[in-house]
Amino acid sequence: MNQIWGSMEQYNTVVWHWPIAVYLFLAGLSAGAIISAIVIKWMKGNDVSPWDGIIKAGAILAPVTIGAGLLLLITDLTRPLHFWKLLIHYNFGSVMTLGVLALFAYFPVVILFFMGVFKKELFETGALKFLAPLADLALAYAKLIESITLILAVGVGAYTGFLLSAMNSYPLFNTPVLPALFLVSGISAGISANLVVGLLFFNSSTKDGNVSYLHGLDVKVSFVELFFLFILFVGMFYQGGAAAHVAKMALSTGGLSSLLWVGVIGLGLIVPIGLNFALPHGVKHSHGFVIFNSLIVLVGVMSLRYYILYAGQIFVG
Amino acid sequence: MAKKYGMIHDNNLCIGCQACSIACRSENLIPESVYRLQVWVKEEEYPNGTLGYEYHRQSCVQCENTPCVSVCPTKASHITEEGIVLVDVDLCVGCLYCVAACPYQARYVHPVTKAPDKCTFCHDTRLARGEEPACVTVCPTDALIFGDLNDPKSKINQALSTRVTYREKEKLGTNPKMFIVPNHKGGINS
Repeated sequence: MNQIWGSMEQYNTVVWHWPIAVYLFLAGLSAGAIISAIVIKWMKGNDVSPWDGIIKAGAILAPVTIGAGLLLLITDLTRPLHFWKLLIHYNFGSVMTLGVLALFAYFPVVILFFMGVFKKELFETGALKFLAPLADLALAYAKLIESITLILAVGVGAYTGFLLSAMNSYPLFNTPVLPALFLVSGISAGISANLVVGLLFFNSSTKDGNVSYLHGLDVKVSFVELFFLFILFVGMFYQGGAAAHVAKMALSTGGLSSLLWVGVIGLGLIVPIGLNFALPHGVKHSHGFVIFNSLIVLVGVMSLRYYILYAGQIFVG
Repeated sequence: MAKKYGMIHDNNLCIGCQACSIACRSENLIPESVYRLQVWVKEEEYPNGTLGYEYHRQSCVQCENTPCVSVCPTKASHITEEGIVLVDVDLCVGCLYCVAACPYQARYVHPVTKAPDKCTFCHDTRLARGEEPACVTVCPTDALIFGDLNDPKSKINQALSTRVTYREKEKLGTNPKMFIVPNHKGGINS
């Protein structure tokens, strides 16, 4: 259809741009980092100070990435100075409100986790000493706080998917598997980020056993992610009509489909999985390789968020 | 019972003259470059080779099950008792979730308030004064019919009882109150 008079500029546009993709990535990464740090912390031998480098990495990454993501999100609003209205006006039917509420609870518990892990370094002496009781509290109730954190982290990781899948205006978003896909890819990103930060900044306290365990877990999670991507598109083809058309366009059109095949599936999933099977044991477990592998996984997960956000809005049937 | 406002766009009567679009801009002081309402045209070639036009009213369809209201985190997007979907600019943070969630592309970002804006059936202006929306009043061929869907005697209910209508994207379950009479004149030999 063509207009008879007037500009068409406001139609068929992308509403949510790259800052949203980065936020979706950072929220997933934050959830994945804290989940994998807690998984490591709950393993035998890791549950007492001095903490493993992976646990330290997760304790830093979880609050920093979600904080950076939220700042980005607020500055991306068209009325950023009104953002506080999100905090006092609720619509319990809106995924965004549910996300705000989940983050209300998630932010404090990941900060408590951080305080417990870095009690010795930051809160026993010096300017932040007055916060020591809070750090003690975090350690005294560690198991309880971590259990709550795990549940909230799953909520934060999955909600970013529900945020998009709630919209039936876009067939690629409006699929039941999207929250699961975002959760597993977020966990993969969190594991990778923990490995990079743990090996680069806390190398002396990062145990090789934990690195191997997480690296192995990442490969398994990558398989799940690949399978969820497969389910996403096959499901859309089976729906027929607009959904099938959108799936076909999204898999085959322009730079976005290249990003999917090369960035998301190739670099982010097939290469890491392939190298894990092809390389000899010695190379596979070297720190250099684990860092390289983690970085390409991170690029893949960021590409996935960018691809889904843009392809979803551009290909509408 | 409260009123429930709806509208009919009759594709057989519409001539694509754009009077509705201009009247909307004038009445609602719509800034340059954005539109609450446009009428689009599509050339049709019918199976026997004759040609014709299809018109499309591009505007809010005033859903009963409103995706834009459901997703709004602050209830800035809301639906009145009379079934009109409005934006409370004061509550809006500008997340644009409603703009994205609308399957009808009815919303745009107002260049001054930076909040989403849309057709209101002239809620604050003409309806408040007891008049019909500007587009309906100005339409030279009476292709637009406006009225109370809860009143069996209203003009719109009379028309809905005698004309075949459909609503856009009905399978999404949005239950629009914008009814369309499809073109049944077919093509014209040139």
